[in-house]
Order: sequence, then structure tokens, then C-alpha cells
Amino acid sequence: MRTLAACAIILVVSALLVAGSPASAASPADVTRAIEALSLPHGTEIIGAFQVGFSQGHLLPEETLRLVERLAAAAGSPTDEDAILLVIAHALQEDLPVAMLSSKAAEGLARGVPLPVIARGLALRERLVAEVRDLLYSERIFRAQEGVPAVSPALPAARFDLLLAHIADSLGDYVEGGGSPWNGDVILAGVASRLTLLKGSVIPAEDVDLVLARIEAGDLTRAVLEALNQPRK
Amino acid sequence: MNVDRLEQEIHDLLHAETASQTFLLEGLEGRISTQLAGRLPRFGPFGFLRRLLAPTHGARVAQFAVVGATAVLFFVGGAFLADRLPFSQGTSPAGSAPLVSAARSSGENQVLFVMPAPNAKSVAVLGTFNNWEPTPLTENKDGIWTASLTLPPGRYEYAFVVDGRWWGQDPLADEYVHSFGEYSSVRYVGKAGDGV
Repeated sequence: MRTLAACAIILVVSALLVAGSPASAASPADVTRAIEALSLPHGTEIIGAFQVGFSQGHLLPEETLRLVERLAAAAGSPTDEDAILLVIAHALQEDLPVAMLSSKAAEGLARGVPLPVIARGLALRERLVAEVRDLLYSERIFRAQEGVPAVSPALPAARFDLLLAHIADSLGDYVEGGGSPWNGDVILAGVASRLTLLKGSVIPAEDVDLVLARIEAGDLTRAVLEALNQPRK
Repeated sequence: MNVDRLEQEIHDLLHAETASQTFLLEGLEGRISTQLAGRLPRFGPFGFLRRLLAPTHGARVAQFAVVGATAVLFFVGGAFLADRLPFSQGTSPAGSAPLVSAARSSGENQVLFVMPAPNAKSVAVLGTFNNWEPTPLTENKDGIWTASLTLPPGRYEYAFVVDGRWWGQDPLADEYVHSFGEYSSVRYVGKAGDGV
């Protein structure tokens, strides 16, 4: 009788432990299934790009699954949902950093912003990231290939992407805040302020110094104008 | 000099001017002002104070009330903002956690989010640090809601949600950004000078 009671207690405790343990981490396959369930016009293209993003570590399956779930819960058509995920997919295809785009989409969904508005905002920010990357390249600040040791003047991929993401995000905040592209000095001041505040603790000091020594106000004005003038993909 | 008497004085002076055979419109205002100044009653060194405190000047009492209220507002606002100064060592009403900012980092990347909302039923903070998923704040007996989070160095955008309403302008944030037509606050954790 005692043995039976002990077994019952062990069973109950085990069941409670299993029930109380956190859910297993999402896998890329979970994300694929969730996207397929949305029946998006560009579903296949998005899934393909996301798989590459997962394999290269640019996207986290758990956060991406949550984003897709929130999209599914939001009031919007498959076309609207498609537009948002497509921006992230395009950025991945161009090997651009996507963490800030993904976070911006999550913010828009949390705020209950209409999906087309989120998609437009993301598209502009993606164009800004691409323009800033081209600007860095033109200033001879390069990104080393993943897994390949960086040789001057190339920065390791993660460092380059961090720098790129923060500069582009600063430009995005400026434009979204209603700033004029012609105020290059103001844009540069915003970028310099952000990079300086992150210098040493988040972004290596030498990377900040390198960028601030080479980028000028006119460069940023051109980058913003180019991003604003590009047609949507 | 009360208003009625002033008007009477001006009337008399104008009358005298126009009655004069050499009346000139040019410079009339200056002449009237000069003559009027000569007729103003003179007060001793405490005359101004006596006039100000005279019980018959009810309107001045109201002026005092406005000035007093403004001073109180400045005092309260100043005390509130003073917590942000580097030499300030404020404490929360509960007396335990440092109340130095709505999102102020302390020693080990510990960021304290604070929202005074005595009548609120729920308060949460959302931001780039939690992928814009609500992290609930806990209320103390004074109606101050807090949540302490450990964050790695970085730049974090955030907003509070009080009973379902977004509150994106933390008065003590490092900066603000416009996002989807609304404000978000920004906190830098681990920036130079934070000691993090």
C-alpha cells in the first residue's frame, strides 16, 4: 500500500513538473507551418528567405514565430500580412540586418497600428538600411563574410551589422519624426549622439571613431533622399 | 490712483490741451504722459508693499494665489527632476529601491521602471527589451508601480501601458522617438557615466 502511494505521489509530481516546465523553443519548422497557415501570396519566398535567416543566425525562430502569431491575430488581409513579412524577407535576401525591422513590426502590432502602415514604415527603414550599407561601402568600410576572418578595412560581419543597424535606425527615427532630409547636420548629430552613447559598451570605440571620421552630413542627406525616392518593391 | 481717477486726469489734460490756442497733435501723447506722471501720488519706501497688501485690493490676493501655486509647482517639479541629477540619491516612497528615473540603470544593468498611477488597475512596460510584450509592474501602497529588469548594455525603446492606454513619454527618459505617430521613450543602458 505504501509503495502504491509513493508511486502515485511521484507520478503526480512528475506530471506537475512537466506541466510547469516552459514550452520547448520554437523551431524553424514551426515558423514555416505558421506562415503556411496564413496562405500568403509570397509565402514560399518568405519561408525560403526566413530559412536562410535562421541558418545564418539573423533571425530567431522563437521571436519570428511570435511575430507571425501576432500577425495572424491582427485584423488584416493576407496581402497586408504578406507585405510585412516580405520586407523582412527582402532584407534577408540582401543580407541586411533584420533585428530592428522585426522589432519595429512587433511594436506596430503591439500598438494596434494598421498593417499597411506598418508595412510602409518597415519598407522605408529597409531602404534606409540598404542606403546606409552602400554609404559605408563607399566610405571604404566593408563587411567581412560570415565566418571569414576580417582583414582591414573590413569589419567582422556582426560589428558591421550593428553599426549599420544603429545608423539606419537613427535615420529612420529622424524621418519618422518628421525631420527634413535637407538638415544633414541635424541627422549627423543624431547619428553621432547615438553612436557616442553606445561607444565602448555596445559598439567598439574604434568602429564609432571610424564612421564618425568618414561620414559627413551631406552623405546622410543623400542616403535619406535616396531611400525616400525609391519606389516600393 | 484708481482707474476712475486716472481717466478723469487724462480727460482734464486732454481738455486743457485742446482748449489751448497752440494745440498740436504731434507729441500729444508724450506731453500727456509727462503731465500725468507729475500728478501721480508718491509713496514712501514701503508704499508699494502697503498697496500690495492692502485688504481692499482683492484682485491682488488672487495674484498672490497664482504666484504661490506656480512656486509650489516649480518646487515639486524641481524636486522631481532633481532625482535625475548625478549627485542625487533619491529613494522611492517605499524606501527600498532607488527612484532615480522611470528607467534608470544602477550597478549591474538593473533598470527600474517606475510609473506613479494611484488609480490604475494595471500597468505594464513594453519595449525592445521584451519584444514589445507587456511586462507587468507591481503596485506599492502609495500607488507607485515598479518593475526592475536586468538588461544588457544597449539602447532600448519603451512605453508604459496604463489600463490599456499607451504612455510613451517618460519624463526622465534619455530621449524620445516618434514611432507610428506616437512617442516612445529611449533608455541607454551601460552608456558612459552610468557606471554599468
